[in-house]
Amino acid sequence: MSIEVRGVNKTFNQFKALDNVSLKVETGELVALLGPSGSGKTTLLRVIAGIEAADPDSGPILFDGRDVSAQEVGKRRIGFVFQHYALFKHMSVFENVAFGLRAKPWRLRPKEAEIRAKVGELLQLVQLQNFAPRYPSQLSGGQRQRIALARALAVEPRVLLLDEPFGALDATVRRELRRWLRKLHRRIHVTTVLVTHDQEEALEVSDRVAVMNEGRIEQFASPEAIYDNPANPFVFGFLGSYNLFHARKTNAGDAVVAGPADATSVTFVRPHDIEIRRDNSDGFGIAARINHIAFAGSSVNVELARIDDEAVVDAALPAQAYKDLGLKPDDQVFIRLRNTRFFDEDYSI
Amino acid sequence: MAEALAAQSRKTGASGTPPPPGHLLIRRVMVATTVIFLALFIVIPVVNVFAQALSKGVDAYVRVLHVASPPDGARLSPAARRKLAAERGQAEKTWSSIRLTAAIAAIVVPLNIVFGLAAAWSVTKFRFKGRSFLIALIDLPFSVSPVIAGLIFVLLLGRGGVLGAWASNWTWPDPFSLHWRGFAQDWWPLAFTRSFTGIIFTPFAIVLASIFVTFPFVARSLIPLMEAQGSDEEVAALSLGASGWRTFRKVTLPNVKWALLYGVILCTARVFGEFGAVSVVSGHIDSNDTMPLRVEKLWNEYNNQAAFSVASLLAFLAIVTLVVQTIVERQTGKNETRQVEEEGMP
Repeated sequence: MSIEVRGVNKTFNQFKALDNVSLKVETGELVALLGPSGSGKTTLLRVIAGIEAADPDSGPILFDGRDVSAQEVGKRRIGFVFQHYALFKHMSVFENVAFGLRAKPWRLRPKEAEIRAKVGELLQLVQLQNFAPRYPSQLSGGQRQRIALARALAVEPRVLLLDEPFGALDATVRRELRRWLRKLHRRIHVTTVLVTHDQEEALEVSDRVAVMNEGRIEQFASPEAIYDNPANPFVFGFLGSYNLFHARKTNAGDAVVAGPADATSVTFVRPHDIEIRRDNSDGFGIAARINHIAFAGSSVNVELARIDDEAVVDAALPAQAYKDLGLKPDDQVFIRLRNTRFFDEDYSI
Repeated sequence: MAEALAAQSRKTGASGTPPPPGHLLIRRVMVATTVIFLALFIVIPVVNVFAQALSKGVDAYVRVLHVASPPDGARLSPAARRKLAAERGQAEKTWSSIRLTAAIAAIVVPLNIVFGLAAAWSVTKFRFKGRSFLIALIDLPFSVSPVIAGLIFVLLLGRGGVLGAWASNWTWPDPFSLHWRGFAQDWWPLAFTRSFTGIIFTPFAIVLASIFVTFPFVARSLIPLMEAQGSDEEVAALSLGASGWRTFRKVTLPNVKWALLYGVILCTARVFGEFGAVSVVSGHIDSNDTMPLRVEKLWNEYNNQAAFSVASLLAFLAIVTLVVQTIVERQTGKNETRQVEEEGMP
């Protein structure tokens, strides 16, 4: 089922959490809402779920083209998963998953045997079939989140909404669950919206990513498009570390890096797109001095300072390239920029 | 790995925090001070209550509540007969005070459970204007002297009070006088035999004063817990299609049951023991005496042993409360550590 929000606003005591947000998620898609904290991503998710009401001047929220903004949470047939699981502590895993089935009005309520079968099926799906009699306190965080997902899926939701589902887990479990979620989504193919502040997670898991900032959607595109063609400096900056150069465009259309005198335009370069050379044969290199070298396993992070204005530049190069160059602190080298992104307006991040 | 982690955190929880640094002497002085203080102000007075109550022997203690009939055919002198009748009268008054106290508690505690749940729910699960003012208001009875609380009702509902003109003429049946009349007189077989006029100086006023004095207990023991739990579980239940009532019954209530029980115990203990507010609104009428008022009356009649006997019943009740409270506290403690573990674990 598709989800569409049109011009949704939400204010909390004069703070604009959502500022005229419009978004369309296609049927079966997995979309990530990515942004720093306070960017409004969780608010947007809660508005879609019906947990939070949008401001009265907002446009509609459409599920498959039908306006649901007047419906309560329980009527929208959504599955909501919380960062801190929100499992019912005093109920066994079985009862947690069965909760939604038992809560149905008695005419629609399945028989005990059907509930049993359905819960068993769901526990199989989240690979926790032997955990039915346990209590949430006896499970690890990753297991709890899988149970929370099974509980949400029990009512056969039309939409799955995940609020920082892996936010409370440690890095290894996170990566594992991320992959597992991707696989699960391929299997059950329910329209899913996932909120995260983790760029890697958003890019890896989702079909499309909506990058949010200050209550607005800055860019909504596929992970590749977001990474390769960021719409603005915010998106570029949020997706990873970067170097910023004050720049000016030449007639040929290339960005030429100049001193801070031309402060109106900027060019962005990722650390791994900075090339370090010993020579400056073609004359395009920028002279720099190595300040500090830090190993990071497969790559080496080099901090340099430009000779002309002492601006700090971060470079990341493969370990092999580093060895070939034989870099040492205080060496003078030349840097070259690849894949620069030029932004015309004066933009502050 | 998770099990190991849980086991570990449980272990550190069980063995407790390491003893704080400090000189052994200082620690001993502190412990001794506490023990002496508790002995002086709690243990000795409580023991004294029981000692005084039993000072004339177990028979005299029992006679406060139950005066046995003389054996059949025994001939009593007129003086002995008068004494027996007086003792019977006193015992009957004591029983009446026990019945009234129990009845007041039976009315006040359920009302306070409803009020406490509603107050804690609204204050913790919603954000609205005047919320902190409401929380402060819930605490008001803690800071108002009970005598003032009683006086408030006298000034409100008494003869010259704000609502006095209406309240002092209002006649209402005594619910405890309801009895089976049969169908002889009317199609309706139940009837009241007694009624009260007015509110002040009737058990109704005692109920009002008791509610006022005890309403913070349930709300206060629920608010911190419900605040800490947030409303994610409720939202989860609602999103799964549960109705509001079902969510409350199946999710909210089980999560706070121990805290609720704790509040109910405190509230009950206070209803039984409340003196000041009740004393003001009871009008010192014998039939309006609760147990603490009865103790005072017996004391004023120089019937010390009887006064201490009734007091010992209250003291016994307090000790029972203490034991139950300790058990409940241990339970809530267990639940809370479990919650902390859940939050803290990856």
